[in-house]
Amino acid sequence: MSPMLTIARREFRSYFDSPLAYVVICLSFLAMGLMFFMYRGGFWQADKASLQTMFEYAPFGLSALVVPVVTMRLLAEERRSGTLEMLITLPVRDSDVILGKYLGALGLVLVLVLSTLIYPIAMFRFPWHLGPLDMGPILSGYLGLVLFAASATAIGLLVSSLTESQSIAFFITFFLLVALWLMGYAADGAQGLLGTVLTYVSFQKHFEGFSRGLIDTRDVVFFLSVTVVALVIAFRALERRKWA
Amino acid sequence: MGTDVMIAASGLSKRFGTVRALDKVSFEVKKGEVVGFLGPNGAGKSTTMRILTCFISPSAGTANVKGFDVFEQPLAVRESIGYLPQRAPLYMDMNVYEYLRFTATVRGLDDSTFKKRLKKVVEVCGLAQSLGKDIGTLSHGFRQRVGLGQALIHDPPILILDEPTSDLDPNEKAEVIRYIKEIGKDRTILLSTHNLAEVEEACARAIIVSKGRIVADGQLDDIRARTGAVRYIVTIDEKKTLKNGGAPSVAEAEEALRAIEGGRSIRELPTDETAHKFEISSDKDADLRRELYALMVNKGWILLELRREAQSLDAVFRDLTRRRRRRRRRRSRFGPGCGRRRRRAARLGPRYR
Repeated sequence: MSPMLTIARREFRSYFDSPLAYVVICLSFLAMGLMFFMYRGGFWQADKASLQTMFEYAPFGLSALVVPVVTMRLLAEERRSGTLEMLITLPVRDSDVILGKYLGALGLVLVLVLSTLIYPIAMFRFPWHLGPLDMGPILSGYLGLVLFAASATAIGLLVSSLTESQSIAFFITFFLLVALWLMGYAADGAQGLLGTVLTYVSFQKHFEGFSRGLIDTRDVVFFLSVTVVALVIAFRALERRKWA
Repeated sequence: MGTDVMIAASGLSKRFGTVRALDKVSFEVKKGEVVGFLGPNGAGKSTTMRILTCFISPSAGTANVKGFDVFEQPLAVRESIGYLPQRAPLYMDMNVYEYLRFTATVRGLDDSTFKKRLKKVVEVCGLAQSLGKDIGTLSHGFRQRVGLGQALIHDPPILILDEPTSDLDPNEKAEVIRYIKEIGKDRTILLSTHNLAEVEEACARAIIVSKGRIVADGQLDDIRARTGAVRYIVTIDEKKTLKNGGAPSVAEAEEALRAIEGGRSIRELPTDETAHKFEISSDKDADLRRELYALMVNKGWILLELRREAQSLDAVFRDLTRRRRRRRRRRSRFGPGCGRRRRRAARLGPRYR
């Protein structure tokens, strides 16, 4: 197994060595269920066999809780405890470290995201049949969630690579991601150039299409480029130790 | 460069901001040598080791490990090195077996090789009882052993150990030193520490650094001889005398001893007896014993102990690393912008100021 995958596997497994992963998974399932069924009447009042409400809130939940918690320790903790030195002086490239850590964290986020597939299956296929389900928007919505998770996790890793403190990493990631999401609402109110810029930068605006069943290559490219840029900067931040 | 040179550093310099951590450090370590890398805290030991393991890059100079350049071929360098950083930072949430397994997999060892090596490492490092335990629950000594274990798992020809005995109790220290001697039989080892007794026990050669520069490099005996000093231990009764003049005070005794010609430095040593105890160092050729005895007889002081010995490595170390410090202090008495430093700064331009 390549060093990168070994690091990714260790990272992924280490989430389950602490209660953290379980707590986050349980909390987000609970929150998602409540939002979906109860918030402002939720699913019952919408009276449609659709998961659109879920796609409206899930990325916000990822931004505000899951991704910051999962990514905060990735590099910050290693740097603080000194294990980074141990890891990097093994025969691995810096890029192996970054990508390994990234894949490990993304793995956990994706496990969480994809396990919500239980909801549509349980509600519309088996054991309940709450109505005829349109699979298109659901698949495109999940594609959007995966892309969104990829970008958010990369940003979290980037923040974690810049600091030694987990809590600082958590808060900065939290604010960045929430801001990038809420910018969508601000964009609706703003006009002119500001509105255009906010619309372009906002994660929410780029995600909207996916939740309605629209896969726009511009949105796909947007999320992929955010991911790549964040990873490259994180890589540079890790390399910086050599010269600083 | 001969083929048996395993580690070669030439002109290594490293600055952190305005702090010069290393200043043109050059040395070589040959195959099979166990070299003690000595120096006070902050002398640049860890920095040197981090450069050799390609964790950081030097500001100037080059280093080769087993013929591979640390800058050009970091992966090849790291493959041939087993490295134990200071304080053995390990993943606390893994157990010992998982950790060793992880390192072995990253290093690309296959299953059967890993099993073979694991057996050997467990035996050498005494880890048999703790393989299944979480690293977080282990004592510091055991963590150090695990650290040594991970450094040995791929059977590297070169070991770089950064203060492997710091924070250990005396028993654990002795044990780690025993492991190092054991594994040092067929490997090249660079071992940093500020505990000199360990160096005397485990290494034949020492490199002493101070303030980022090498101040001594050679066989232990040579280093000891190089400073060319012997020391005398003199103990004088502080209550009784043979004459009526009264017992000497510390200051009196020290002054009288200082007056003896040929003495280089003098310091008071702590003692449990009701006595004054001094350490005097002098040049190797001189013999102060006669003068010391004559002084005692003259003053009527009671000499409880007089001992002459070649300077211990401890004293050599203090001597070498302090002398530099004293020189610095003298230089800086005139303020930071004076003398050599200013001239040097002017020569190098504003960037180096």
